[in-house]
Amino acid sequence: MDERGDYLRVNTLIVAGRVAALGLLIATLALFYVYMYLGKKGREVQIRALPAMEAIPEAVGRAAEMGKPLMYTIGIGGGLSDASQGPQILASMSIMGYAARECIRSGVKMDAFIPVADALPLAEETLRTAFLAEGKVEEFSPDIVRFISGQSPYCTAVLGYLQRERPASNLLIGGFYYESVIIAEAGNTIGAIQIGGTNNTHQMPFLIATCDYMLLAEELFAAGAAIGKDPDVLGTIKGEDIMKMVLLVLTGVGFLLGFARVPFLIDILKV
Amino acid sequence: MSTLLKREVVYLITGVVAVTMFIDFFFFPKGWDVASTLQTWAMIIGNIALGLGAVRLLLFYGKQVQKRTVGVWHYSVWLIVYFFICLITGLAGYITLGHQDKNPIYYWNFTNVYTPLGQALYAMTGFYIFSAAYRAFRARNIDAALLLIAGCFTLLTNAPIGEVIWVQIPVIGRWFLDIGQVPGMRTFMIAGAFGLLAYGFRALLGKEKGFYAEVGGQ
Repeated sequence: MDERGDYLRVNTLIVAGRVAALGLLIATLALFYVYMYLGKKGREVQIRALPAMEAIPEAVGRAAEMGKPLMYTIGIGGGLSDASQGPQILASMSIMGYAARECIRSGVKMDAFIPVADALPLAEETLRTAFLAEGKVEEFSPDIVRFISGQSPYCTAVLGYLQRERPASNLLIGGFYYESVIIAEAGNTIGAIQIGGTNNTHQMPFLIATCDYMLLAEELFAAGAAIGKDPDVLGTIKGEDIMKMVLLVLTGVGFLLGFARVPFLIDILKV
Repeated sequence: MSTLLKREVVYLITGVVAVTMFIDFFFFPKGWDVASTLQTWAMIIGNIALGLGAVRLLLFYGKQVQKRTVGVWHYSVWLIVYFFICLITGLAGYITLGHQDKNPIYYWNFTNVYTPLGQALYAMTGFYIFSAAYRAFRARNIDAALLLIAGCFTLLTNAPIGEVIWVQIPVIGRWFLDIGQVPGMRTFMIAGAFGLLAYGFRALLGKEKGFYAEVGGQ
């Protein structure tokens, strides 16, 4: 025992304080793999429905009926190399590709506002692939993707667009900062059907208050996997749910042990 | 060739970078040179992409001017003119004086045009939040009623009149801010982290379509 009375002292190659995290990471990845394997072997994987994803065809249909465009934006977030924002942009690309296919099929014009420079080539390529998948690659124009640098210029450009073009549907999915409430509220003013999605906890309340449907936290990352309905891909979502349950149990046990002033679990997690 | 570049090469780079970062985080207490070099490369590539963005921006708004798009083209002219004013003055400052801010025209534009306009827009957020809150604060069901009650306490905690109405209002409001909302937010953070992990796992195995600029759906 050390001076704090810790039960465990591990002095290994691994950075101090990250042993438990490594163990949990390996266990999580193993669980993902097991469920992917089971899915591939034919075991049916049931995951909860994502109403926001089911609403995308509805949003596209509304735009088709009204003869108006659909706006898609990923938020200013940060660059793709940003540890918390980058993955949200990448996850958003899967959803954008799906929405684009629906738009192409219904003859709806999509306008994508991409304010993140390093996501620009990915967004263009995703949309080009969507046109290709629908056999209409000749209709693809790079002008579908609009780049505006800087948060305030991006906000004003989108506000101007919303007022001029009055899109029937507005999809705000990605890493957002304060622009979320500005864009979503402006979209609400023009009566657009709105689907939001972010993993930024400080922006979730704004999108919940202003959007009709919402992809909350991990739903944003799961949405891309849910589109294809591949059983092995859905397996990772199942594994994720199991790990959440494990963590819930750990939290409960930690709560009780904390009351009993037994630091055993805390010490293990701190290793 | 295109498939090779689009999938296999991206797949390989992703794998190498992921393993490098994994090793750096868990096995190198003071950071690993290879990992920090890769992070610097990512920043450089991001900045190169900014140049691509500038080209795309000029092409898009140039077309608007060329087509005389109603209600837009004159703004596009202004954008292009201003783009070149900033580019030329910024470059002149950088080349002649070592930093773009040392050019007085560039500096004036930045501090007297760009910054106040940005601040004005940021200040407008208050009105947008107000109108969003107005719609959200309606007791349509039990959940919305609870939100309304918590919202009223938080609002009155931040407004001086709250304490005048009842001295305990700031105490309750502070509890909502410091304790009441924390478990909910942390739940989202933990759930988001697992989602991120699953996404990264799928991307590493080549199962995440958006990561490779591919599209899903039937």
